[in-house]
Amino acid sequence: MCIDEAMLSSYIDGELKEPYRSQTEEHLAHCPACRARCQKLRKLNDILKTDSIDESDIEARKASTFALLEKKYFSEDSRKPGFWRRRFEMSMGSMVTAAAGVLVIFIGGFAFFGSSPKQTSEIIPSLTVQADSQNVHFVSTEERGLDGYSLEEILSYLDSKGYNVDISIKGLQPLE
Amino acid sequence: MEIKSTDSDSFRRVYDSCYSVLLKICYHVVYNMDIAEDLVQESFERFYLKNMTFPSDDDAKYWLIRVAKNLALNHIRRVKRESGMMEKVRLKAGNAANSHDAQAELDESETIREVRKAVSSLPENLRLVVVLKEYGELDYKSIGKVLGISEGNVKIRVHRARKKLEETLAGDDAYVY
Repeated sequence: MCIDEAMLSSYIDGELKEPYRSQTEEHLAHCPACRARCQKLRKLNDILKTDSIDESDIEARKASTFALLEKKYFSEDSRKPGFWRRRFEMSMGSMVTAAAGVLVIFIGGFAFFGSSPKQTSEIIPSLTVQADSQNVHFVSTEERGLDGYSLEEILSYLDSKGYNVDISIKGLQPLE
Repeated sequence: MEIKSTDSDSFRRVYDSCYSVLLKICYHVVYNMDIAEDLVQESFERFYLKNMTFPSDDDAKYWLIRVAKNLALNHIRRVKRESGMMEKVRLKAGNAANSHDAQAELDESETIREVRKAVSSLPENLRLVVVLKEYGELDYKSIGKVLGISEGNVKIRVHRARKKLEETLAGDDAYVY
């Protein structure tokens, strides 16, 4: 009885286990039909192998790719990126978002709940500030009147504004 | 020996032993050397960034092959989808020429073109087994590990793929026995 195709296929791949392998070889030795089939399968393999790539091309690409990877991952300054640097790099965008979120909550808390003196006194009694109309008064209510300026100041001010001021003193006649 | 993917020496060793296999596998799925190179690079970057530990060199190799073949498959799926859309546009525009493909085909010999056509026409599960075995030069055990199937299943797929390939290639009269 001849060997089935599947077995022959394993045989030419060198994958047939021992008792079967010697049996197959024995059979092939005196069965020209199976020898021909075997030959055909080997021929198919050879044909598939015609489509193989140039080893020198592989080597060139191998070297250039490795140089690239080495530079990217194993060069001195990027050898060990370090825990913090790496995490920071990876989460820059989300960190900004988180910071903005915290800020919104913080400001929003004040906007919603306000901060009354009563609340503050509950939290920190010593720091209570009673800012009512009774204990707040203006330190200075007076404006500086015209009396507060000397004649020279008034004159120079008017002069800078472009006025031509003529001053005379009562009872005195200008010399002819 | 344990492999840590971020360790410089381990990385180098795994890279040296796997690069050629990964490139061959990717190339025979996408059939474009530059894209294959990018996919392999992407696989190694993932390998490093995942910061994984593997019990042995072989486990690291299987992991890498799995990633690379998935990247390659995703690539051809995307291209297929996009070229389907392109085809529609082209039909509407009435412009059938694709100079790039034509040039690429000129560069390849008749046999290689037939082989590629036959391999590409295989269903995905059979195609991968052929690529991993013939071009990745993996044995049944490794193929099983990579694809997550049993050795017996690999054996069956190899056999089925061979039958289909013989039919396609013989049917096209691409080669004479």
